[in-house]
Amino acid sequence: MSDLAAVLAVARKDLLQEARGRAVTVATVFFSAVTLVMMAFAIGQDSQLLQRSAPGVLWVALAFAGVITAAQSFQSDLEEGAFDQLLLYPVPRASVFLGKLLANWLYLTALGLVMTPVTLVLYGAHAGAGAWLLPPTLALGSLGFALVATFYAALTANLRAREALLPVLMFPVVVPVLLGSVRASEAIVQLGNPSLAGGWLQLLSGFDLVYLVICTAIFHLVVEE
Amino acid sequence: MTDTHQAPRRPLWWRALALVTLVLFLVGAYLALVVSPPDVNQGQLIRMMYAHVSVAWVCFVAVLVTAAYGMLFLLRGNGIDDARAVANAEVAIFFAGLTLVSGMTYSKPTLNTYWTWDAKLTLTALMFALLVGYFVVRGLIDDPTRRGRVSAVVSMIVAASLPFNYLAAAWFRTLHPTLSVAVTGVHVAPTMLFVLVFNAGVAALIYLTFVSERVRIGKLEMARHEERERRESGPGSKEVVRV
Repeated sequence: MSDLAAVLAVARKDLLQEARGRAVTVATVFFSAVTLVMMAFAIGQDSQLLQRSAPGVLWVALAFAGVITAAQSFQSDLEEGAFDQLLLYPVPRASVFLGKLLANWLYLTALGLVMTPVTLVLYGAHAGAGAWLLPPTLALGSLGFALVATFYAALTANLRAREALLPVLMFPVVVPVLLGSVRASEAIVQLGNPSLAGGWLQLLSGFDLVYLVICTAIFHLVVEE
Repeated sequence: MTDTHQAPRRPLWWRALALVTLVLFLVGAYLALVVSPPDVNQGQLIRMMYAHVSVAWVCFVAVLVTAAYGMLFLLRGNGIDDARAVANAEVAIFFAGLTLVSGMTYSKPTLNTYWTWDAKLTLTALMFALLVGYFVVRGLIDDPTRRGRVSAVVSMIVAASLPFNYLAAAWFRTLHPTLSVAVTGVHVAPTMLFVLVFNAGVAALIYLTFVSERVRIGKLEMARHEERERRESGPGSKEVVRV
């Protein structure tokens, strides 16, 4: 089995498991929706303020959803002892990481694509001519979240208090992703000036590339033998 | 089981280093508080800058050294490298705390706000949070080898995040004065530059003093841990065999 096939097999396994059980889907879709509504209540009646907050709220909801997704992808494996078997396969550890990353990334991007129209409606914002740039922004931002979340979920999977620990470890690292995604979405949606998003998208791509290399290279060090 | 033996004394070179550091620290404080002229724009407040800039640069150096020793631990697997990494991380979090406090006290009278979402300040705050995460992870792992490995990994992620955090925060908004000692030329009066460099050097000496003492303690911890493991596995297992 080639390494690429192993990556795809792990991703397929995780996605299939999710398609059958829907544990993460139920948790994250409702969690994100509830976050959007709660934040709208917290921000208040000012419709202009609501419009301005839309990109920030969407990405905060996605960041939280990313934590749940990544934590669950290791938890369900660990519960039945399946993770140890996964590590026994004669493929590099990195392909297990990349497989899980691929599944989490695809899931998070899909969640973002569902939540974007919901946010636009709830917060009364409009996607202008640059709306076609939103899916790439979602893909790049979700990849940044998924990378750090998947990596740290593997690291914390065997530790006490992992539910609280994962966001504490992950959020300070993904601040550039949050900033980049929010500013890029803002340029596209509010300002209607997609050219302003360019620099931020470059920052996101750079972050994704660097962390993809680092996390893949050192993943074998964090999984327990 | 009582532990009767005393902790070994600090080596002579370390006590000499600490004494020199203390003396130079007092000289630096005198230079900053008395010798340095007041600034054209900031007046007496410029005296804060000497402390702020000095501790700030040390905390970033210490984080990078932590990651470097983490990498060395991964390569060589020698526990001493992990002890050196922790020593640097502890000094880094201490100096990061000092940087934040001095930065906030400095920016209240000069920029009229305790907190600005400025690139360097935000970066320091994030670094503080990242270092807290490093120590939380360490505290949760008991096996020294695994603890060293995982914390080395975390320190590498932390070091890699610094340039991105800086870039993001810099593009976001910045109020912080740019570097006074720019590559293109020096904008600071010679006396003030001398005082600044002197104090930055003293901060580096304080860093060295703290780190070397912490490494010494780390070595003692390692020795103690080994001794305990020997005691638990040595005579204990023999008794089991005899019974």
